[in-house]
Amino acid sequence: MAAAPPPPTADQPVISAALTDASVRVSSDFRGAHIVVYGAVFDPQAKPSDVVIIVRGPDQPVRIARKVHVAGLWLNSRPVVFQGAPGFYMAASTRPLTDIAGFSELRLQGAGLEHLAIAAPAEQRIETRYGVRDMVVSSLGPDYLDWRDAVLRLKEKSHLYAADSTGVRFVDRGLFRADIDLPVEAPIGTYEARILLFQDGKLVSVRERRLRVEKVGLERTVFVVAHGHPWFYGLFTVVLGLGAGWAASVVFRRS
Amino acid sequence: MDIYLPIAEVSVNAPLLIALGALVGFISGLFGIGGGFLMTPALIFLGIPPSVAVASLSQHVVASSASSVIAYSRRRSVDIKMGAVLAAGGVAGSFAGVEIFRWLRLLGQADLVVNLSYLIFLGVIGGLMLVESLGQVLRRRRGDAAPPPRDKRPMWLYGLPLKIRFPRSRLYISVIPPIVLGVFVGVLSAIMGVGGGFILVPAMIYLLRMPAQVVVGTSLMQIIITTSVTCILQSGRNQTVDIVLGTLLLIGGVLGAQLGAKASARFRAEELRAILALIVLLVGLRMGLSLFITPSDPFILVSGAG
Repeated sequence: MAAAPPPPTADQPVISAALTDASVRVSSDFRGAHIVVYGAVFDPQAKPSDVVIIVRGPDQPVRIARKVHVAGLWLNSRPVVFQGAPGFYMAASTRPLTDIAGFSELRLQGAGLEHLAIAAPAEQRIETRYGVRDMVVSSLGPDYLDWRDAVLRLKEKSHLYAADSTGVRFVDRGLFRADIDLPVEAPIGTYEARILLFQDGKLVSVRERRLRVEKVGLERTVFVVAHGHPWFYGLFTVVLGLGAGWAASVVFRRS
Repeated sequence: MDIYLPIAEVSVNAPLLIALGALVGFISGLFGIGGGFLMTPALIFLGIPPSVAVASLSQHVVASSASSVIAYSRRRSVDIKMGAVLAAGGVAGSFAGVEIFRWLRLLGQADLVVNLSYLIFLGVIGGLMLVESLGQVLRRRRGDAAPPPRDKRPMWLYGLPLKIRFPRSRLYISVIPPIVLGVFVGVLSAIMGVGGGFILVPAMIYLLRMPAQVVVGTSLMQIIITTSVTCILQSGRNQTVDIVLGTLLLIGGVLGAQLGAKASARFRAEELRAILALIVLLVGLRMGLSLFITPSDPFILVSGAG
């Protein structure tokens, strides 16, 4: 979906960037992680530059329900599944995104929470209305945007989604940095960081970096066994429980 | 000291979990219940996903029940035959319960059913027990003679076929009521993350009319077998058992259970029941409350397979 960066020539501006860590190790003392994206803009003409950094975690479908008031009780409505939602999303920029580029460019790059391509395909059907063919109609009706906003709002509340219009700072001529805070709830998997350089509202250079968030040590062993050999894992858990209970009663009988 | 839980994928305070396990274990040993009905709400409150809390808890319930059942069996207060019949029903119920829970999660109604079950079962049972045990406590205080033991065992209990003798409980009744009771408790154990002692104990006393001294040990035996099966099924079907969480809870749990079982000898049975009834009632009302309070956000993210 990303436009290929223009071929670097001598007079073309180019962006270059790196992450302080290429992998985040999740072990028993994991309390979230702090990563810095840093880089530089090389522009022979020294035109005013804007940098946008988009970090996307692995996709995780979101199930969301609405609270409905029925006979004095607050109940959940039927859940709606949103596809294409990243498990983590951060957009940081030097200025508010709307000042950096136009709507279509931002939409194309998926830059900014309002341009995240999330949808509830199970609720949609395509029909012809008012003579217009191939219109996407959602069975959620005009409330559709409320549902979408709620997904973003709840994810933002748990620090999984963030948009920071001053998150990228130029620390020296052409040299910039941005901070990424991964909360404890951040999903495991491969993250993609896209560092975009805009000049005059146009995308002129792109860098992509990968970040792996992985469980290590005991955490990894437990996770792998629990998913690879679930029945054995369950049996082991029960035996451990029975053994602990028996051991305690033996110890207490002696004392 | 925070620790990251590999399956729950959240970070929690380890000493807090051990203390919570010890407190619930103590209550478990004291009253002869699994204590799950206290632990599930506490874990959800700490931010652990409900499906992981319900499943991992089964390991803690197994451990603390095993710890206290051994103490009870030394006093020869376990009716093994009755326990086996109840457990047979419990295992069948647990199979059904794990599948029902999966289905409810897909419908997004797991929260509602968990909250409603807590409100209804804990509220009704807590209320009934409180009235009954307070009546007994008051009679004893006033020095009234205990009313003659009523034998109000429902007649249909005698009419059912498949009668079996339970020598330890001095009963000769049909196996159908204990099996149905076992199935019911097994389903609840999978849905509510409870051992089911809070339903088993009163049902054994008031419905089956088992002698009080074997009730607690026998209910613990049924709970161990049913929750062991639930734990294995939740691991196998849903992969929601967090062994780190379960183990932290059971460290405190087994110690607490031993102390609780010792302490139980010092109290009168009806006073214990009154306190238990109060705890049950409060937890039930607290869980049910969320159904009546206007939510701060009209939308809620629901867990479960996408």
